[in-house]
Amino acid sequence: MGHGEKGRPSKRIKSSSSKEEYRLAAFTDDDDPSFMEGAGEDDDRDGGEEGKKKDFTKLELKPDHPNRPLWACADGRIFLETFSPLYKHAYDFLIAIAEPVCRPESMHEYNLTPHSLYAAVSVGLETETIISVLNKLSKTVLPKEMIDFIYASTANYGKVKLVLKKNRYFVESPFPEVLKKLLKDEVISHARVASEGTDADGFTISKAMGETVGGHNELLNESELAAAAEEKETHSFEIDPSQVENVKQRCLPNALNYPMLEEYDFRNDTVNPDLEVELKPHAQPRPYQEKSLSKMFGNGRARSGIIVLPCGAGKSLWAFQFKLWSTIKDEQICRFTSDNKERFHGNAGVVVTTYNMVAFGGKRSEESEKIIEEIRKREWGLLLMDEVHVVPAHMFRKVISLTKSHCKLGLTATLVREDERITDLNFLIGPKLYEANWLDLVRGGFIANVQCAEVWCPMTKEFFAEYLKKENSKKKQALYVMNPNKFRACEFLIRFHEEQRKDKIIVFADNLFALTEYATKLRKPMIYGATSHIERTKILQAFKTSSKVNTIFLSKVGDNSIDIPEANVIIQISSHAGSRRQEAQRLGRILRAKGKPQDRMAGGKEEFNAFFYSLVSTDTQEMYYSTKRQQFLIDQGYSFKVITSLPPPDSGASLSYERLDEQLALLGKVLSAGDDMVGLEQLEEDADDINLHKARRTFGSMSAMSGANGMVYMEYRTGKGKLVAAKAKPKDPSKRHYLFKKRFA
Amino acid sequence: MPEVRIVARNFMDMVASLPAMKLDQLYQNAFICQAIVRSLPPLAKKYVIQMLYVEEVVPGKLIEEWVLPDGSTKYRVAIDRLVQLRIFSETFDRTSGTSYRLNPTFRVNLQKHITIGGVLPREPMSATITVRLPSLEDLEVYAHEQWECFLLQLINSAQSERMTNISPAMMRIFQRGLLTQREKDAPRLTESGFQFLLMDTNAQLWYIIREYILNSEELDIDSADLIAFLLELSFHATGEAYNMNTLDEIQRITIKDLADLGLVKLQQGRKDSWFIPTKLATNLSVSLTDSSARKEGFIVVETNFRMYAYSTSKLHCEILRLFSRIEYQLPNLIVGAITKESLYSAFENGITAEQIVSFLQQNAHPRVAERIPSVPENVTDQIRLWEADLNRVEMTPAHFYDEFPSRDVFEAACDFARECGGLLWEDSKKMRLAVKTEVHMQMREHLRGQR
Repeated sequence: MGHGEKGRPSKRIKSSSSKEEYRLAAFTDDDDPSFMEGAGEDDDRDGGEEGKKKDFTKLELKPDHPNRPLWACADGRIFLETFSPLYKHAYDFLIAIAEPVCRPESMHEYNLTPHSLYAAVSVGLETETIISVLNKLSKTVLPKEMIDFIYASTANYGKVKLVLKKNRYFVESPFPEVLKKLLKDEVISHARVASEGTDADGFTISKAMGETVGGHNELLNESELAAAAEEKETHSFEIDPSQVENVKQRCLPNALNYPMLEEYDFRNDTVNPDLEVELKPHAQPRPYQEKSLSKMFGNGRARSGIIVLPCGAGKSLWAFQFKLWSTIKDEQICRFTSDNKERFHGNAGVVVTTYNMVAFGGKRSEESEKIIEEIRKREWGLLLMDEVHVVPAHMFRKVISLTKSHCKLGLTATLVREDERITDLNFLIGPKLYEANWLDLVRGGFIANVQCAEVWCPMTKEFFAEYLKKENSKKKQALYVMNPNKFRACEFLIRFHEEQRKDKIIVFADNLFALTEYATKLRKPMIYGATSHIERTKILQAFKTSSKVNTIFLSKVGDNSIDIPEANVIIQISSHAGSRRQEAQRLGRILRAKGKPQDRMAGGKEEFNAFFYSLVSTDTQEMYYSTKRQQFLIDQGYSFKVITSLPPPDSGASLSYERLDEQLALLGKVLSAGDDMVGLEQLEEDADDINLHKARRTFGSMSAMSGANGMVYMEYRTGKGKLVAAKAKPKDPSKRHYLFKKRFA
Repeated sequence: MPEVRIVARNFMDMVASLPAMKLDQLYQNAFICQAIVRSLPPLAKKYVIQMLYVEEVVPGKLIEEWVLPDGSTKYRVAIDRLVQLRIFSETFDRTSGTSYRLNPTFRVNLQKHITIGGVLPREPMSATITVRLPSLEDLEVYAHEQWECFLLQLINSAQSERMTNISPAMMRIFQRGLLTQREKDAPRLTESGFQFLLMDTNAQLWYIIREYILNSEELDIDSADLIAFLLELSFHATGEAYNMNTLDEIQRITIKDLADLGLVKLQQGRKDSWFIPTKLATNLSVSLTDSSARKEGFIVVETNFRMYAYSTSKLHCEILRLFSRIEYQLPNLIVGAITKESLYSAFENGITAEQIVSFLQQNAHPRVAERIPSVPENVTDQIRLWEADLNRVEMTPAHFYDEFPSRDVFEAACDFARECGGLLWEDSKKMRLAVKTEVHMQMREHLRGQR
């Protein structure tokens, strides 16, 4: 026991072994398509202590280095000073070309990876631009290895685009030699469709304006800007729509290695109808939302990809929200869910549904079969997928293949997943287009400033003795969760926040036995997988409106979907092993900003207005998991304060389980319960909880419908389309929402 | 850091332990008198100044009345120090009790020094000879490099690129107490070695100088002469050249060693050779007081336990490596992580959480130094908690007894041990018990009596 719990990993940063990184450098020759570095990141953190130390002291410092904000290392690691006057520009640039590793207050770390460079290229950054901006920002002369790496990684990326124009698919590239190379492939040449107006090679040539990516312009000099904005000639050939998937397949890194970017030239889409919808004038997008949009819409086309914003930052849209923020008419939006099967009318509109409804493999009712058929045979403008981190890849495949869409946008708060599935998202949806910095959003008052704390609860002697016994291996979790000291700490915290601060509290427990015991003993309502829909509604309604119900106990059904804006305190008494995502998602339940913005800013009246407590029993596995779980949030700049003296020693009999006989009775209860009783709650649909979904809709609150599983389809009306039509029968431009004005310019 | 003062005082302790004759001899030199005054506790300084022109003995009672009643401890400390250093001489008579009087040699020389000013035994060389003198900046860089090179070599770091001229024998003397020197193993830093590295430069310097002086005693060099020379050196002007021919034989050997430590720079002209004192030398007497000049910090610690040190120093890197895992070294930045493992190895080597925390706080980069706290609270808490975690097990030497012939004997033994206050553990089912080692003998006696 001397060293405490066994092998608790210390709080440290992810950085994969150098071997891994060199593999990345040689990526173009690699057969492995899953190049999202750090997907299985948990294993590597401890590897190779000193061997990993990297000495780049020989890099030459530029004379004016204090004025430049970053260091770049040969292995792809980049350090950014956040106090630099150039920070904002540098941040926007780095987030476009590199993966953030950690973003605390003073110094950020990023990794340049093939994947991040792919994303950079896909938002329109060119190799030379990347290198020259990086060089401008760097305190040292750029390491040659890094320059080579950027060249190697971007050599093929972004060279080829798949464009859907007038309902015909084109493979497009400014480099005819690349197209020729592709056509040597049997599958691709087979898929090719001859079209008129071609040059000697049979390519259609068109001119397109090069684009400059907003935000980095000030970092480039004039000649570089001119080069970037120069008119570019593009070559293209047409392919058979039925062969699109096969052609895409052939272009993946494990085959020809020219991954195709997908763009939707919606302004020139004359086939699909436009949807007449605009933001209402009062809808004011926040700066980071606007930035996300600008990444998605460059050069008048819509890109597919993923946008990462923290929970509570306002990224989910559901039926109600559509009506709240936009001018959409009621009849243009419909829901397709297990108990709301609305068919839509007209030729353009929005359908809100769940992944399960679309990907369902069994026999459908006649009614839903019809709706599915309608979805299937249509061509969709935008496929908006919320909470992409929860859905398994095979489900995605099914949804994406069933719903033919020009543009796919994935949304998530946490691009970490304990398994490898996240890798698939890159190719199924697209590269990450934008990722906001949590701390910047907190500083801006857009999300709540949360005080995170880890409460250390020593095991009582008796509980610990049982915990150590071999025969109780299956009850370990129940024993450390039911630890009387933890119970007392929980009771104390609930009382403190209810009475002293009048807060609204959610207590999370993955362990059903504990959930029931805690909730019953403390006389608080609880919701878990099997709670009936009527009861759920009642409990949540009471929690929201009644001043008598200030605490609810939730099992993991509440991790993603239940969103109760009123809640501002979370107490976590048990959790799913080392899941960093669960930790972040749970924190997300209280991130919706509360109170007046000026009070929330640093130095405001109430610096912390939300509280996240994680209760852990010391010397048990929980300590180990707890550290792992916090890693994601710590990397985002959150810090966990360790509290060791809860409840205060003088609490005595005011809290439960003060006497030994009470504690022993509790212990007896845990030990006599069957092993099946004390384990984790098993939800039938862990990834997509239909039960909960029902509840959300029925009580009809907008927050209750938050988009855990929501999926939105949007369709544009045919004809010249609204966007194009705007030119044909011009609307008063001053009336147009300013955001859209920009997109038209 | 508290250790700083301990070491500095240790040097003056060494001075205080010189024989009376040597001390009186030292006080012939006005510069030494001044250096000694600087090193005194504040109250003792005040007494010296107050009594500077008083030739009669002054009763201790009177002196004690000069401070408020709650300052009596400080009075004791001050008087003890002054007596130790033979600045005060003590006399006792029945009527007035203990009386004190300022050492006449000391008094006369300090008076002279204050009124007329001291004259150094040597003058700076004239400007015409010394055209190639380094600028003050260059000199500071030189001193810094020399000292760092010496320290790297001292801790046996593989990082030191060049060797100083200090003889291996001398180096081993400096390493005494700082490194373990087992035959086969590579030398490792000891507890005090770690603490030494965390001290500021002046404190380190005094530690080394003290070792140097102790060593010279073994070589039959008069330590009083050496101390006088060193203290005198501290009153020379930084950056000026002084001719080597003003030094005697022993001083000339000493000055070469001091050059290796970076206290002076040696230069050779066509005809003459000379030494140029650096800041390290002129700070020698300044550092004897507590007011060590504040250096600008360089470390940023983040809430995620990442540590960024704005430094080009290899020594800093070595110091940080004592308690963190160094991951990246850039031209002017060292990146590390404070991990549980790295801290555990620091703790094992005798570094305390408090030392690490105060090191991080005292060296906080100006960017974060203004922030409160300068090191994130969750990090300092965690460092302390990890240390506390290690200290939960208490070791008590004990003796174990079993195979008692009967339950009566066992129970009597338990009772006996309990009465002695030495019973640590008992298992009545299997009739076994453990007692503290202190009561083992009594216990044996008791059991013999039971037979």
